[in-house]
Amino acid sequence: MNLMADILLNVTVAFFVGSILLGLQRKVMARIQMRPGPPIIQHMLHTLKFFIKETVFPRTAAMPFYVAITIILCAIWVAAVIIGPVTHGPLLLLFAIFAIHKIVEHNAGSSSGSPYGKLSCVRAVFSAAAELPLFAVLIIVFIQTGTMDLNGIIAYQAEHGALLFTLPLTAMIFIVLIISKSYYYSPLNITLARDIVSGFETEHFGTLRGFIMISEAIAWYMLLWIFLTVFLGALTPIEYLIAMVILTAIVGLINAVTPILNPNHSVMTEVTLAFIGIVGSLLMIFFL
Amino acid sequence: MDQIFYLIYVLAFVIGSIIGLVLSYKKYTEPFIRKNIDTAALVIAIIGWVLALNFALIPVIPYYISITVGVFLIAMVIGMRPGYGRYETVIGFAVAGIIWILRMVLS
Repeated sequence: MNLMADILLNVTVAFFVGSILLGLQRKVMARIQMRPGPPIIQHMLHTLKFFIKETVFPRTAAMPFYVAITIILCAIWVAAVIIGPVTHGPLLLLFAIFAIHKIVEHNAGSSSGSPYGKLSCVRAVFSAAAELPLFAVLIIVFIQTGTMDLNGIIAYQAEHGALLFTLPLTAMIFIVLIISKSYYYSPLNITLARDIVSGFETEHFGTLRGFIMISEAIAWYMLLWIFLTVFLGALTPIEYLIAMVILTAIVGLINAVTPILNPNHSVMTEVTLAFIGIVGSLLMIFFL
Repeated sequence: MDQIFYLIYVLAFVIGSIIGLVLSYKKYTEPFIRKNIDTAALVIAIIGWVLALNFALIPVIPYYISITVGVFLIAMVIGMRPGYGRYETVIGFAVAGIIWILRMVLS
C-alpha cells in the first residue's frame, strides 16, 4: 500500500474508533450513574453535526489565529498517526506532539477572548508542568530497551516479553496520563473541567468545533495506541480494539466515581505520581 | 490488507448504529420503561453475533463478509434508542459464545 493511502486509512480508522470509544466512555459513565446514557456513536454524531452548523466568530477573537489554531490541533494529531501506526517512528516525536498539544490548548483558550477560554489557557500552562513529566516517564522505556524507536521497542518486547510486566510503575503512570487526557468529567483534566464550561473549546463554534472534536477522537485513539504499543508490543487490529475498549471502560469507571479535583490538587497528584513512577521504575531497573 | 478490513468493520458498525438508532426511534416513541424483549432485535442480534464470532461455520462465504455483516447487525441492535437492545445484545452474545465454545471443544 502506498504511503498516502496508508495515512488516509489510519487517520480514518483513528477518527472512527476514537469517536466510538469516547461515546463508549459516556455510556459506561451513564450506566454507573443508573442512566440509559447517549448512543455509543453520540460523539461522532456531534462531530458531524458541527460541520453543518453555522460558524460564528466572537468579536473578541484574535483572527486569524482563532481559526488557525483548530486546524493546527487537527494537524498535529494527524501527524501523530503518521508517526505512530503508519511509520512506527521515534517515540520522542510523539512526546513533541504531546508538548505542542499543550501549547495549542493554551493558545486556543486565549485566542477566543472568552474568560472561560482564558482560564483554560492559564490552566494549560499549569497542567503542562504536571503532564509533561507524566509523558516523560517513557524515558524509562528508553533506559530499559535502549531505543526510542517504536519498531525497536516492539522488537524488544517480542524477545523479552511485554514491558507492562517489567515496568509496571511506568505503565501505571501512563494510565494516569490517559485519565488526565480523557474528555468527560476526568478528575485530572483541568483545562476542560466543567467549572469553566468547556474550557478552551467554549467559544469555538460550527466547523471549528468540528475540527476540535475530530482532534479529540484521534488524540484519544493515539494515547491508547501509544500505551498499548509501548507496554504490550505488536498487537493485531482486533487485539488493539479489544484492549482499547477495556481501557476506555476502565477510564469511564474511574471518571464516573471520582470527583473532579481542583487545579492545585490535580497538578500535585500528577506530579507526585510521576515522581513515584520515575524513582520506582529506576529502582526496579537498577536493583531488581 | 488487515487494516482495510478493520476499516470496513468499523464503518459497518457506524452505519449499523445509525440505522438502528433511526429505526428504533420510529418504532418506539416512548423511553425505555417496560423492559420487554424485542423479538426482531433478538433475532438480528443472534444472527449478527453468530456471524461475527462463528464465521468459520460458513466456509462458503469469505470471513470478512461474514464479519462485516455480523458487525452491521450487532451495531443495529447496540445502536438502538438508549435503553433498548441491551437484553437482546447480551442474549445474542451468549448464544454465539456458547456455539463458539462448542465449536472449539468439538473440533
